[in-house]
Amino acid sequence: MAEDCEELVFDTIEVAFFPRIRNELVELLGKCGLSIEEGVDTFVTCRFEGRLVGCAGLEANIVKCVAIDPLARGECISLKVVSEMIHVAHDLGHDHLFLYTRPNNISFFAGCGFYPIVEVPGLVTLMENTPIGIRSYSRSLARLRRDGATVGGIVINANPFTLGHRYLVEQAAAGCDVLHLFVVAEDASYFPYRDRFDLVREGVEGIPNLVLHPGSEYMISRATFSSYFFKEKNVVGDCFTAVDLLIFREHIAPALGITHRFVGTEPFCRTTNKYNADMKYWLQADLSGAPPVQVVEIERTEYGAVPISASEVRRLLAADDFDRIANLVPPTTLQLLATKYRTPRVSAA
Amino acid sequence: MKIVREALAGTLESSDLLVRIAPLEDGLELVLKSEVIHQFGPHIEKVARDCLARLGVTQALVVIEDKGALDCVVAARVQTAVSRAVDEWTPDWSALS
Repeated sequence: MAEDCEELVFDTIEVAFFPRIRNELVELLGKCGLSIEEGVDTFVTCRFEGRLVGCAGLEANIVKCVAIDPLARGECISLKVVSEMIHVAHDLGHDHLFLYTRPNNISFFAGCGFYPIVEVPGLVTLMENTPIGIRSYSRSLARLRRDGATVGGIVINANPFTLGHRYLVEQAAAGCDVLHLFVVAEDASYFPYRDRFDLVREGVEGIPNLVLHPGSEYMISRATFSSYFFKEKNVVGDCFTAVDLLIFREHIAPALGITHRFVGTEPFCRTTNKYNADMKYWLQADLSGAPPVQVVEIERTEYGAVPISASEVRRLLAADDFDRIANLVPPTTLQLLATKYRTPRVSAA
Repeated sequence: MKIVREALAGTLESSDLLVRIAPLEDGLELVLKSEVIHQFGPHIEKVARDCLARLGVTQALVVIEDKGALDCVVAARVQTAVSRAVDEWTPDWSALS
């Protein structure tokens, strides 16, 4: 079938508006051992004589759900579908694309202009559509490299920055010659990146041997660790941390010479707790060409015998309890919360 | 001509190529992948670089995914990608032929 390419019809749809097509997509993906993912909003569809034979989905700049009907294979439909999807993504403003695939499909996607970033052996590979993406990021990091016997790394979301974060950074900095601090850049948290970054910058002032880095798409981003940002919805089931951690081990740590990664213990949040547990495995175990990075857990600091957490601060903010917030955050954070995020009280008058 | 935005031209179909061009600060970087790189890699790269030179593009990242395109197709796709990536498209048409 499909000898004549002219008969292939391509379309781009926002799947939420087309339940009938959504059912067709579910069926096609099912034939290929895939299921439709909820975050995927845009689909490129390919039809032959009205029948759906191929599709590719986009969740922002992440390509997912690429499938070709097994009966229609061998006709190079896949290359047409991926071409179409690349152009659609470009029109939507997504030039830097990421893609998850099983390692046995690497060579196909390599033929579509995708380059592997990291492979979880036997399970999944993360690819991007540029040959210089992770490489130029690593090069830009390497310019900030500073030598030392113990070089630490911390990644924080700081949503918002608390005295707990301050304590963690202080403790870590005291334990190493240089400490690289990254702020998660993805704008998927309650506080926007710009505010979180400014609060961290102000909040860590005076701590020696510290290099503050903006976050990137290669670190706890929607692309490397999408399930993290669903934690408030409590979807932790198969949250997949290995890709994110292996990028850290194989690209980021070597660029900066990081030997230790510091992290606070996590008593409250299951996603973060699992991330910490997985961190020890993926950063330390003998499973990568890159040298291991030692994981150091630092006990959370407490206020009134309760560990300080950013989620508690958000809860108190919603309750407008600034007296208690003041005990948990540095003055810089308190000031921003009071001026920018305080919910206007309804006046009694 | 100055590349001011990322742009695409072409497809991944057989006998075609997909050209992606993006702004770059330091010089001209060209990355070529091709089905026929062993036979024609250096030649395809030369066609693409000549075309960029005639358009006066000296700072850009150009990524080419080639599926066995003929020279004229390579040149056409590179030109189109450049035309989409610049603010003022002022080619010297006689120099391009």
